[in-house]
Parts: sequence; C-alpha cells; structure tokens
Amino acid sequence: MARRTKPEYALYESGVLAQLSDVTAGYAGTDVLIGVDFEARAGEVAFVSGPTAAGKTTFVHVLRLALLPKAGQAIILGEDVQKLNGAQRARLKRRIGYIAENPVFVEDWSGFDNIAVALKLAGRKPRTIADDIDELAQFVGLTDEITQPLRSLSNAARRRVAIARALAGKPELILADDPTSGLSPEAGRRVVRLLAEMRRVGAAVIITSQDEGLAEHAPGSRWRMERGRPVRVEEPEEADA
Amino acid sequence: MARRPFADADRALFWTLAIAAFAAAAVGLAARAVDRAAAHYESERRNYAIVRVIAPEGPDGIVLATAALVHAPHVAAATPMSAQRAAQLLRQWGGNPIEAADMPPLRLIELELEPSPPQTDVTGDITAALARDGVTGEVVRAPETAGAGAMAGRARAAALWGSGAFAIVMALIISLAARGLAQRRRELMHVLADMGATQRQAARRVADEAAVKGFSAGLVGAACAALIALGLIFLLAPNASFASVKQLVEPLDVLPLALTPFAAAVAAAMGARAGAESFYAQAARLA
Repeated sequence: MARRTKPEYALYESGVLAQLSDVTAGYAGTDVLIGVDFEARAGEVAFVSGPTAAGKTTFVHVLRLALLPKAGQAIILGEDVQKLNGAQRARLKRRIGYIAENPVFVEDWSGFDNIAVALKLAGRKPRTIADDIDELAQFVGLTDEITQPLRSLSNAARRRVAIARALAGKPELILADDPTSGLSPEAGRRVVRLLAEMRRVGAAVIITSQDEGLAEHAPGSRWRMERGRPVRVEEPEEADA
Repeated sequence: MARRPFADADRALFWTLAIAAFAAAAVGLAARAVDRAAAHYESERRNYAIVRVIAPEGPDGIVLATAALVHAPHVAAATPMSAQRAAQLLRQWGGNPIEAADMPPLRLIELELEPSPPQTDVTGDITAALARDGVTGEVVRAPETAGAGAMAGRARAAALWGSGAFAIVMALIISLAARGLAQRRRELMHVLADMGATQRQAARRVADEAAVKGFSAGLVGAACAALIALGLIFLLAPNASFASVKQLVEPLDVLPLALTPFAAAVAAAMGARAGAESFYAQAARLA
C-alpha cells in the first residue's frame, strides 16, 4: 500500500503521533502560532501551559485538524494534514479524542446518548454500546448522572462526559484544551490524572492549561506558550544535568 | 432520551410541512378537476355537429338525410332537431325566450360523432355519404381554435402549469422550513464534526430525519386534501355514493395525493441537507 511507504507513515510507526514543523496558523489576517515545532509521542503526556490568549486553543485546533497551517508542515497520525481532503480529514479525526474547553453536546440528550454517538461513529455494534458506556462511565467516575440530560449536569459531570466521549473511540491522540476550566482544584487534579492515565494504553496525551501547577499530576514533557509557540520547559533534573 | 425542548419547534415544523403539503395536494386535485371538466367539455364539443339539409326540401329531405346518416362514417347517432330542442338550445345560450310554437320549420339534424384522429376530414366524409343517398347537406362543426375551442385547451394548460408552479413554491417552503430543522440540530452537527463524521454522514443524519418528517406531514396533508375533496363532491352532488365516486375516480385523479408525501419528503430532505452541510462546514473548519 502506498500509505505504508510514505515518510509520514514511517514517522508514525516510530511512535511520533503528532509532529509540527515550523507551523504558522491563525484566523483570517491574524497569525496566532508562529514557527511552531512540536512533537508528541505514543505513551507520553505533553503538558502545555500559558496565560489566556497565548495560543493554546489555536495550537489544539491545529492538532485536531480544525485549523490548517498557513505555513509549515503538520503530520498527525502518519498523515500530512495539508494533503488530505475533507472526508480524509474527518476520518483521521476519529482517531483523535478531543476535550474542548467548553465542550459542545446535544444538550437535551443524556450523557449516555452523547457518548453513544461517538461509539456508533467508531463502528461499535449496537448491542455492545451499553456495556462500553458503562465501562467508560466507571473509568471517568460518572454515576447516575449519565442518564440525565446534559443541560441539567454540573460542570464537573459535563467534563467527565466529555472525557468519556473523547475516549469512546479508543483514540491514539488525546487533546484536552484547558480541561480543568471551571472545576474545583481537586476535581481539576483528578481530571488531569485521569487523562494522563491514557498514556498507559499507548495514546499520546496533550493537555493545555493556564494552571502550571497541574503539570505535576501529568508526568511527561512540559511546554509553555511563549510568543505564539510552545517552548519546552526543562525539568529541574535535566537543567542540573 | 428526553427531547422536550425541541418538541414544540418540531411540532411547529411538522404542521408547517403538513399545511404546505395539503395546499399542494389540494391545488393538484383542483387542477385535475379543471382538467377533467375541460377535457369533457372539449370531447363533447368535438363530437358534436349539425347537418343543415339543403335538398330535398321538406320533411322527406330530413327522413332521407337521417337514414343516410345512420350508415355514414364517424356518426354515432343522428337526431332531427325538434322545435322544442331548438328553443331549449336558444334559451341555454342566452338568446331571447322563444316558444317552440313560434319556431319556423327546421331542417337541422344533430349528430353525435365517434372520436376520430385529428387529421380526418369528418365533414367531407359525412357530406359525401349524404350525397351518395341523394341528399345535399351542410355539416357544421364547432371551430377548432377560436373562442370556446381554444378556451378548453387554455384552461387545461393553465391548470397543469399553475398547479405545477404552485407545487414548486410549496416544495420551496417545505425545503426552507426543513432548513430550520438543521438549525435546531446544529449542536449535533458540531458534535459529529468534532468526532470525525464526514460532511455526508452528518448531513444524511439530519436529511433522513427531515425526510421522515416530510413524508409523514405529506401523508397528513394529502389525507386532509382527500377528505375535503370528498366532502365537496358530496356537497355538490348530494345523490352521490361512495360506490359512484369510486367509479368516477380515475388513477390520474389520485396522482397528486400519491405524489405529495414523496415530494414533501424529498423537499424536506434537500432543505435539511443543505442546512446541515452549512453548519457542519462551520463547525469543521475554523479558518
């Protein structure tokens, strides 16, 4: 197959699930990300911190294929995203789990139904969907809330539904854009720990947050958004070395 | 799955579709009624002629001509026109009231003709048949295109194109109303776009829902139009029975009713699909 011989695929095979090289991206006439170089590997967590309007969300939009780079190259899950058409990009998105800062749900559906949409899209058999949702609900700590309409759920419960939905398709790349926003510090820490756990199944996890302190709950590489690009923050031990 | 907040809007959409479907079906039925009436009038007019007997004169000429016409081509029936019949016709067509007793001796024979192909020389054939039996006569038929002759054709064309245009406008209304369904499902479009559904998959989901709504609304609209049409028939013809109405109805008459649910489904699906594609595109691409 031609796909298997592409250099992008070799990169994917070597464990690099996302690679941005000199990427510039933004909206209309404004460039938000400038010359971004970034790499995320399977089984690793990348924690990207930065203040409001530093470009964290735009960075996630590029990784989740909602925003195409204006310049540079973005290789996600072995595909050069600029070479894909709309349908191919949509199919690639199914391998990416995305938790938005303000997740969009079908508000009058229950958490169960919202998660079921993701499972159906991932091609799960209808008879296994209920079991899969139970398992996901247990993993993220959802209880009876799962049967209630989304509009009636608390912020924390909504966040859990969003995580369960993002994990439903067994994604290889998990993107969480400020997933602790609006949560209590304790709930925020729990969410970050939960997401970081996904590295154990071989996924690359990228978490962005304004709260740098949460990085200690997400073992892996640390990045800080500076002047429109994520800059690797060296660990104290690395700095000493 | 609780979907109560959408219930009112969805109900309003359903009835908008049903009313548009009803209007299209009702106009379709009315157009068909006009078409049938015009076709009937046209057929009666085409199949009617009058022979004026020129020679021999007097009652013998009428008897001779009637006997000749019985065997003449294209003639289904030949009846000498009585004074009463002539007076009745003159009254019917708006002339001054004339008593049968005041009528002069008539040398007219009414003919009921068999249907014949358009290029046939019916007048010539009948005149020749009369001549063979020694009768000189003049065959008078309704004019082909002028006056009433053209009116029936115009009425049929107006019914066909008018109802067609009206159906298109109703389909447009259904399509635009169904676009509103996509607007109410934009959250779902956003979710599906985020999770990697293709534009076609996402739009099909809303289009299928709209098609089902359109079909059921079309059924309701067509059923209402059929009931009202039946009610009108029984109102205008109190002696009619279901059996007589059933005999009266031709397959073509129910075509507008049969087409309505399918046309409503297609129009609704197209409108919803267009709206869904636009919302998907907004959600899938930020720049």
